[in-house]
Amino acid sequence: MNEDGEVGDIDAEFLGEEGKAVSGASRMEAAYGSGDGDDDLTAQVAKTGVVAGTIFDTTYRPWRGELNPRWMRNWSILRHHLLGFVKKGHRPWSIWMKLALFGCLIGSMGDLAMAFLGTVIGDTDLYRLFGASRGNLYGHVLGFFPRNALCFPLIAALLIGGMISEDRRHGTSAIYFSRPIERRDYTAMKFLTVAIVLSILIVGTLAIYYLGDILLRGEGWSWLLDTFPMFLAAALAGFLLVFTYTSIGLALSSVSQGRFFPAVAFLAIFLVSKLLAFLIWQLFERSVIYLISPYDCIAHLGQTMLGISSSYDHPWTWSLVSILIINAIALYVLTSRVSSMEVTRE
Amino acid sequence: MVLTEHVIQTQGLTKAYGPHIALDSMDLKVQKGATGLLGPNGAGKSTLIKTLLGLIVASEGGGTVLGYDIRNEGVEIRKRIGYMPEYDCLNPDLTAIHQVTYSGELLGMNPKVATQRAHEVLEYVGLRDQRYREVGTFSTGMAQAAKLATSIIHDPELLIADEPTNGLDSQSRKFMLNTVKQIVEEGGRSLLMASHLMDDVENACDRIVMLHEGKLIAQGRIEDLKAIDREVEIHAWGGASKLEEHLSDSGLKVRRTGRVLRVIREDETTYDQIIESADATSCQIRRMHDHEASLEDLFLVIMERLGYEVKSSKDLFSSTPSARKVDSPGEVLP
Repeated sequence: MNEDGEVGDIDAEFLGEEGKAVSGASRMEAAYGSGDGDDDLTAQVAKTGVVAGTIFDTTYRPWRGELNPRWMRNWSILRHHLLGFVKKGHRPWSIWMKLALFGCLIGSMGDLAMAFLGTVIGDTDLYRLFGASRGNLYGHVLGFFPRNALCFPLIAALLIGGMISEDRRHGTSAIYFSRPIERRDYTAMKFLTVAIVLSILIVGTLAIYYLGDILLRGEGWSWLLDTFPMFLAAALAGFLLVFTYTSIGLALSSVSQGRFFPAVAFLAIFLVSKLLAFLIWQLFERSVIYLISPYDCIAHLGQTMLGISSSYDHPWTWSLVSILIINAIALYVLTSRVSSMEVTRE
Repeated sequence: MVLTEHVIQTQGLTKAYGPHIALDSMDLKVQKGATGLLGPNGAGKSTLIKTLLGLIVASEGGGTVLGYDIRNEGVEIRKRIGYMPEYDCLNPDLTAIHQVTYSGELLGMNPKVATQRAHEVLEYVGLRDQRYREVGTFSTGMAQAAKLATSIIHDPELLIADEPTNGLDSQSRKFMLNTVKQIVEEGGRSLLMASHLMDDVENACDRIVMLHEGKLIAQGRIEDLKAIDREVEIHAWGGASKLEEHLSDSGLKVRRTGRVLRVIREDETTYDQIIESADATSCQIRRMHDHEASLEDLFLVIMERLGYEVKSSKDLFSSTPSARKVDSPGEVLP
């Protein structure tokens, strides 16, 4: 305490609330309760003009805006996933995913590049080998090696890997379902995201290939009329491939809590079923075993649609039924697993 | 939509999963303001929350949230409420600002508006300087604050916070409680806060709803509920056991911990009876005052009335379901 009787900072801890000195007796009472209990002593703690300070002062600001309808909510899911490939602030896709997608996009247009080279150097054999034709249109979408052995399944596996499983793992499903998002909308938007990227890779590059060929050769209407149905059939087969890749992939993603299992299981389903069917066919020469391979079912249908001689002995309708059953099972697993996703705990 | 004075109202709300009854004929009335939802694990809190969000359909009965039917207007309800889950619900690879913005977009907010609002709410929850950090690098307190921000981005009429102070240190806990209190007091919004921490509920809420084994065992204002048993606290010296015995013989209900005795106050004569007993047993009474019951005391009284031997709320809240079955005197639901 200074001469004017004011409390100084140094003295603060030795003074009581009113600036009174704290006696030894009151300290003992506060610490040990040593009194007889009848007196009314209270602990006198230092309380001076020491200002603790305010770091920030928060005030709750209300918001009186309008919420947009269902389509806008669905669009936000789609936008979040798709824009993640090109912009920050949306779903973070890994750099490897982006590089793989870019590489496969470029690789998928290898036939167009070769056709371009054939046209530029005037090599008709090279053009005939890579230019738009019934076989090449089929090959662009359904050729096994390297497209359906490496490129498309790899990209599909990377895409579907964490698509739903990460919502389970991180609990982000709660963010979706505690908001006015219907489960079927959530599933549909996730499905559309994968389907759009795969469509760009498979059907989009097919369209660029076909259009590029028209421009390269300056083909006329008669050629167009001749080849356009083939292009449409190849595009249809491509969409069937996209649908199947997506439904099986997302079904696997929905039953898992990580990226690894769905991606590996997806590759196994497509490649192992194909390999197994091939080995059994080699032994028994019965192509019906290919009905277990989703790729071969679609390839069989593609050959039928494009009018290419079939490499399978069984009727194409069997392949159609098989692929419908495979997709139905995948969609059933997907929808039932999404409906089991929790908002409270997983 | 039904106009009602209660933010949440249910009548005979029952949810059964096969033979297991998760919610048993619940008649709930939650008024505007802050309400604590108390109950041990397995009491039915999560099921109640999911039913109120319109995510699961009640087996019997029904109810309204903000006037909307929980059975068929779930989307309308979820537009108007903010739900802060107990568990992790944030993408660790996204920055806080983008996570909160996306949660706003999922509600139907325009992306630009959602971004602007995300900045506001992140500042409000104390994450202004951390908003461009990835959520995965956040401490538990910061992640809880980010979760709160995602749930209040659209300024909901009702905030349902599931264990908002889970895993927080005392400072972060205090901040979180103050923040949710402000939403009610300054924002004029309602809060339903599920918690197993009595102190937190007592600090942030003025009403409680208490569940046990799917049944509603208490609801109302905390102050009113505390008044169900008023006690006089005595600090005795020299012969506390004799005093306890004498008081019990006089027909008073006594609880004792060491030299501190709590006597149920029947009426004004209780004080005289205590003095007489002290005189009769030559016991010194060094302090005597009305005991201000805490929510913990209230919980113990309620559990005692239900026939449970529970020494503290921790006994029940921290035990496993199988352990609780051992304590339970009544029929435990399968």
